[in-house]
Amino acid sequence: MNKLLAKKKWFGALLASMMLVMMAGEASAHGERAQLASMRMRTVHWFDTKVEPLNVKVGDIVTVTGKLVTSEWWPNQLASIEDTVFLNIGVPGPAFLRLDSEVNGVPMMRSTAFPFGKVYEYKTVIRARVAGRYHVHPILNVKDAGALVDKGTWVEVAENDSAAPFVNEYTTMPGDTINLETYALGGVYTWHLIWIAMGVAYIVFWLVRKELFIPRFIRIRSVGNDRANELMTKRDFVGGSIFFTLTLAIILGGYLWAENKYPITIPLQTGKVEVPPIDVPTGDLEIVVDSATYKLAGRSLTMNLTLTNNNKSPIRLAEFLTANIRFMNPEVNEGEIYEGEEMVAKAGLTASVNTIAPGKTVKVELVASDALWEQYRMTGMINDPDSRFAGLIFYYDDNGERYFQEVGGSILPEFF
Amino acid sequence: MSETQTAEITEVEAKARLLDLKSLDNPKAMKLYRRFDGIIILVLFLFIVLGIQIHFTLTAGDWDYWIDWRDRRWWPLVAPFSLLLFIAPFQYGLWARVRLPVAGTAVTLLLCLVSWVSRYFNFYEFTHFPMSFVFPSTYIALGILLDCSLVVTRSLLVSSVIGGGLFGALVYPLNWAFMAPYKVPVELHGMLMSVADLMGYQYVRTTTPEYLRIIEESTLRTFGGSVTPLTAVFSGLCGMVIYMIFLWVGSRVNAMEKFTKRIV
Repeated sequence: MNKLLAKKKWFGALLASMMLVMMAGEASAHGERAQLASMRMRTVHWFDTKVEPLNVKVGDIVTVTGKLVTSEWWPNQLASIEDTVFLNIGVPGPAFLRLDSEVNGVPMMRSTAFPFGKVYEYKTVIRARVAGRYHVHPILNVKDAGALVDKGTWVEVAENDSAAPFVNEYTTMPGDTINLETYALGGVYTWHLIWIAMGVAYIVFWLVRKELFIPRFIRIRSVGNDRANELMTKRDFVGGSIFFTLTLAIILGGYLWAENKYPITIPLQTGKVEVPPIDVPTGDLEIVVDSATYKLAGRSLTMNLTLTNNNKSPIRLAEFLTANIRFMNPEVNEGEIYEGEEMVAKAGLTASVNTIAPGKTVKVELVASDALWEQYRMTGMINDPDSRFAGLIFYYDDNGERYFQEVGGSILPEFF
Repeated sequence: MSETQTAEITEVEAKARLLDLKSLDNPKAMKLYRRFDGIIILVLFLFIVLGIQIHFTLTAGDWDYWIDWRDRRWWPLVAPFSLLLFIAPFQYGLWARVRLPVAGTAVTLLLCLVSWVSRYFNFYEFTHFPMSFVFPSTYIALGILLDCSLVVTRSLLVSSVIGGGLFGALVYPLNWAFMAPYKVPVELHGMLMSVADLMGYQYVRTTTPEYLRIIEESTLRTFGGSVTPLTAVFSGLCGMVIYMIFLWVGSRVNAMEKFTKRIV
């Protein structure tokens, strides 16, 4: 009976494991839903992210461009982006080669610092290296804080038509053209083999002998520690001396050989670079956040704003962006949606007043509502220890010029 | 063996030891001992392979994984520090019990072999990094020097000065033979980089941003720009001290025999 029960338990465990494996979804994201909602809303606002082309072959170039604004509502407890930050690209390891990256035209091979409330335009050029389907994200790694991930875009990389191995060629400053995929591996293998052979020879010298662990232990215990060195023979001394001298000679020889072969070398390079922010047209819209509430059941964010249009032309409220989710106002219908772009709620924004005349001050209720709140775990805001939000409001003037401004403040939940 | 210790040996134990000694002339006993030796080698092999792999990964991992981490200042300090604190207790045990000065070579050799296996399967096959970016460093020569200094001097103390010092000081020259090509300068979009830096930039590591590298940075205290020799001297001194300290740890571990006997 007990055996039967035990068998049943095993069978149950096996079935459960199989079900877990079968039910597991595809692991394809880079943690864009993992961070606290309030952290995603108040750190960096990514927008105009464009990845193109979306279907390439191994060896082809993919360009990732976009803009970002560093939030004025940056959480104080978080290490600051004003200290050290690195523009990275979120792909599964070296499936792509990063050929170039720049922010506001400054090369971004090294780290930098971004002051709060500034606008940056970035570009990363990558080259497909391994075939597959990848979710490509721009990423900012902030020192001591973590990674800030933009939304991802799927890129399909097919095998190229050539059967030749992937080549990544560069020309060094001394003038040699090298393939980084296999560069200097001949020397690496040779020297490793030399040292492995030396190590094996030394171990064999000591371990291949008539008396090893147990007999030597017996002899030392018998003669006592003071006379234990009697176990060391003249052969051991000579062998040890030869290995010692030979090893030193090979190290010296290898060092001099490399110095002769590569006379021009430099230390690893590091240090931060400075990036000036870009000037963007400001729309002269005065925004005061009167209140903001979050409806748990309705999955919506409501902002009560007082807006004063100091422009010479009317403005139209087109979009609200927070935590990489775009809430578009269908009444205004402005703003480009890029091919393959995710996290866009095309009819996610409603405004009590869509157009504000020049010189007018109006009270506006702006509601950002969509299932994306749930999908991207923004509903978790209720569990965050600091209930504050931030985001960008995009608006357009009569000439179709786009402006954006950051809004933020406290937020209250509405439970029922 | 001291007089006090000798006096502590009981008559029964003395007889047993004499019998043990006589057994070395017995071919059947020797055959059995050889089998035991085989088991000891197997156990030591497994213990060292697993131990050094985990230990080195946790203490010096990135410096050994990526070519763009192997700088002139930190890597030659961290790597011998990490290795010597693992080697020293084994060296003490093998020297005190069986007079076999092989711990340094065995640990560094097994680390090298297991690193190659790990780099090939984990880094090259599984995550597609080129081997030219992730090949392991070698420390085997340092292990040989450490062991041979013990063979020649027959003193743990003197060998810790000579062997420990050389172990720390020669990390960079030893690996320079195959690492020099990765320090050749290249220019990328108007910026100076070494080939290693370029590889670190091109072969994307999402969670390893540039600033995460713990490598040499310019300071006002770099004497005459001579970073490599100064680091070698300092690393040599650290090697001596660390080796001595952990030999002492090894001696303490060996002294635990008293307690195990009591428990038995």
